[in-house]
Amino acid sequence: MTAPSTEAAGFDIALGDIADLSEVVDREALRDICRSFFDLFNLSVRIYAADDTLLASVSEPAELYTYLQKFPKGRKVVSETVDQVKRTRPTDSSVLRHQTIMGIVYDVVPITYQGRPVGRFVIGPFVPAELEQVPKALVRLDPNLDRLEVRDLLMKLPRVRANTAERITSHLRGVLDLLLFSSHRAHLTSEMHVASVRESYRELAEKTSKLQHAYDRLKELDQLKSNFLATVSHELRTPLTSIIGYSEMLEANIAGELTGEQREFVETIHQKGNQLLGLISSLLDLSKLEQGVMRLTLSDADPKAVIGDLASTFLPHAMKREIAIETACEEGLPTLRVDPLRLKQILSNLAENAIKFSADGGTVRFAARYTDWEDDADGAGAVLMGSSRGAVAFDVVDTGIGMRASELEKIFDAFYQVDGSATREHGGTGLGLSIVKRLVEAHGGNISVTSTYGEGTTFTVTIPEPEE
Amino acid sequence: MQVDFHGREITVKLVYYGPALSGKTTNLQAIHQLVTAETAGRLMTLETRDDRTLFFDLLPLTFSGGKNLQVRFKLFTVPGQVMHNATRRLVLQGADGTAFIADSQKTETKANQQAFLNMRENLSENGIDPDSHPVVIQFNKRDLPGVRTDAEIDRMASKGREPVFKAVAIRGVGVIETFLGLTELTWRHLEAKHQLHEKFGLEPEEFLSTVRERLGIGRAAE
Repeated sequence: MTAPSTEAAGFDIALGDIADLSEVVDREALRDICRSFFDLFNLSVRIYAADDTLLASVSEPAELYTYLQKFPKGRKVVSETVDQVKRTRPTDSSVLRHQTIMGIVYDVVPITYQGRPVGRFVIGPFVPAELEQVPKALVRLDPNLDRLEVRDLLMKLPRVRANTAERITSHLRGVLDLLLFSSHRAHLTSEMHVASVRESYRELAEKTSKLQHAYDRLKELDQLKSNFLATVSHELRTPLTSIIGYSEMLEANIAGELTGEQREFVETIHQKGNQLLGLISSLLDLSKLEQGVMRLTLSDADPKAVIGDLASTFLPHAMKREIAIETACEEGLPTLRVDPLRLKQILSNLAENAIKFSADGGTVRFAARYTDWEDDADGAGAVLMGSSRGAVAFDVVDTGIGMRASELEKIFDAFYQVDGSATREHGGTGLGLSIVKRLVEAHGGNISVTSTYGEGTTFTVTIPEPEE
Repeated sequence: MQVDFHGREITVKLVYYGPALSGKTTNLQAIHQLVTAETAGRLMTLETRDDRTLFFDLLPLTFSGGKNLQVRFKLFTVPGQVMHNATRRLVLQGADGTAFIADSQKTETKANQQAFLNMRENLSENGIDPDSHPVVIQFNKRDLPGVRTDAEIDRMASKGREPVFKAVAIRGVGVIETFLGLTELTWRHLEAKHQLHEKFGLEPEEFLSTVRERLGIGRAAE
C-alpha cells in the first residue's frame, strides 16, 4: 500500500525499523562480546543474522568430536549435529534446545528487536549438569570405541545446570539488546543527519536555480534594453541631423534675411538641437560600451600635452565664473597608448563637472603624476602575480560642494544624479560619469573618487603604461 | 501505513508535531510511562543540535479469532526548532496521523500558527494531502498563567474540523485522550481509505476498544 512517499532524501526514516542484525551492529563488537562471554563461561557462542550469515563465533573444537570422527558412524553423527544446529531456527521468542544422541546439547536463542526476529545465537556444545552416564546410543556407535576415552572426553565438555543455562542466555540476550539499541540509535541518528543535510541541500539547489533563472532573464532584458537604446538613438539622430542642418542654413540666411526675433528663434532651435544630439550620442556611446562594441583608435599620447590641452580648452569657460585653473604635471611621464579623442572626452567630462560644481571664485586643478599600477591581485603571491608596470594618474580636483560617502558608490551608475535638484540647477543627463567609467575601463584603466562633503571632490583616472 | 499481507501486520505511524517547547516530547514520555511496560518498546532519542527527535514502538496488538492480525503503532516527535525543517519533513514521511501540540500561552499564538502552516506545507511536500490527513490539536500547558481560556478555545474549536484536546502533559493530563483521539481519527481514515474491515475482518469499534484495553490505558487514566 502506501510506501513512504518522498524519495528525495533517499532514506526511509518513515518507520525506523531494522530487519537484520548486520544492518546496524559492528561485527567486531559482536566478536568481542562472544570472546568475553567465552572467557567468562567457557561456552562456545555463534551469532547468526536473520539470513543465516554467521556474524561472529568464538568456539573451542570439542575433542570428543575429533575422536568420534575417526569412526564412520561417529563422523556422520558429528556432521549431522553441526548441520542440524545450524539449521535450527526458533519460530517465536523462546529458546530452542537441540538435543543429540551423544547427550550433548545446544541452545538456540532468538534475538528479537522491537518485537521482530533479527537473528539468533547458539550456545554449545555443552553437557547438562544432570547427565550422569555416557548415553548408550553414543557407546553403540562403533564397537571399536574406547568407552573410557569417550567418557573422559564427554566430561571434558562444559557442564551447565538448567537454570544456569537460562541465566546465561538471558544475560547475553540483554547485552545484545543493549548493543542493538545503541547501535540502532547511532545508525538512525547519522542516517537522519545525512538525510537532513541532503534535504537542505536539495532545497538550496532549487532556490539557487530559481535565482539563476531570474538572473539570466534579467540579463536578457538588460541586453534588450541596450539594443533598444542603440536603435532608438540611431533613429532619432537621422531627423535631428536635418533639424540642425536646416536651422544652420536659416541662420546663414540661405533662405533669405531673418529678422532679429526670427534669428533668435532659429538660434535657439540650433542650440537645443545640438544639445539633443549630444545627449543621443551619449546614449549611443553607453549602449556601445555596454555591448562591448566601442572601438578605440589607439595612438601615442603625451600626458603633459593632454593636461595642457585640457586647461586651455576650459580656461575661457572658467574665467567667466572667476574660477582659477591650476595645472601640475610631473616631468618624464611615460607616453600612453590611448584613443586621444576618448581620453579627452573622459577628462573634459570631469573638468566640466568640476567647474560646474565649484562656486564662483573657486579653484580647479588638473594634474598628471606617475604611480604604480595596481593589478586586481589582492596581495596573495603578488611577487608572482603583480606586474611591474607603472601608470599615469590624472587628477581633476575641485573646491565644489562635495559628496557624501553613501553617494559616492552610485555616481558611476547610468542616469544617477546625487540630487535630483542638481539636474535642474546644473543641467546634465546623469549619463556622463557612467560613460566616463566605461571609457576608462575600455582603456584598461580605472577611475576612483574621493570627496569631502562641503569641501570638494577629486576624481582620479589611472591609465597603465603600455605593456613591454 | 505499512501493510505486510504475508505476515498479516499493519504498522501505523503517528507523529507529534508543533512549535519548539510546546510539549511534544513530554507527551510522548507521558504515554510511554502510562501504557503497560509490556506494550511499549524503548523510548529512543535522536539528538539533533539543540533539539531532538523521539520515537518508540507500541508493541504489536494481536487480534485473534480468525483475524490473525497484528497492529503496531510507531510514535514520533519532530524537532520543533525552525532550523530543523528538513528533519521535520523527513520524520513526517509516511505519517498516517498527526497530533499538533500547541502551546496555550497567548504569547505563543504566532509560533503555533507558523508551526501549523509549516506542518501543512511539509505534508504537501511529502505527497500527503493536508486537507484529508487526520490531525488532532492539543492545547498544552493549561496550568500556566496567560493562556487562552477554555471558552475561547471551545469557541474557536467549533469553527474548525480538527478534534481539540486540552492538556497538561507534564502531569499526564489529557495526554491519553489526545493519543486515543488521534488513534481513532487515524484508524477511521485508514478504514475509509483501505477498507481494513473488509480485508482483515476487523471492526473499527473492536479495534479501538482493544487498543484501550491492551495498552492498559483504561487503568492508567483512572
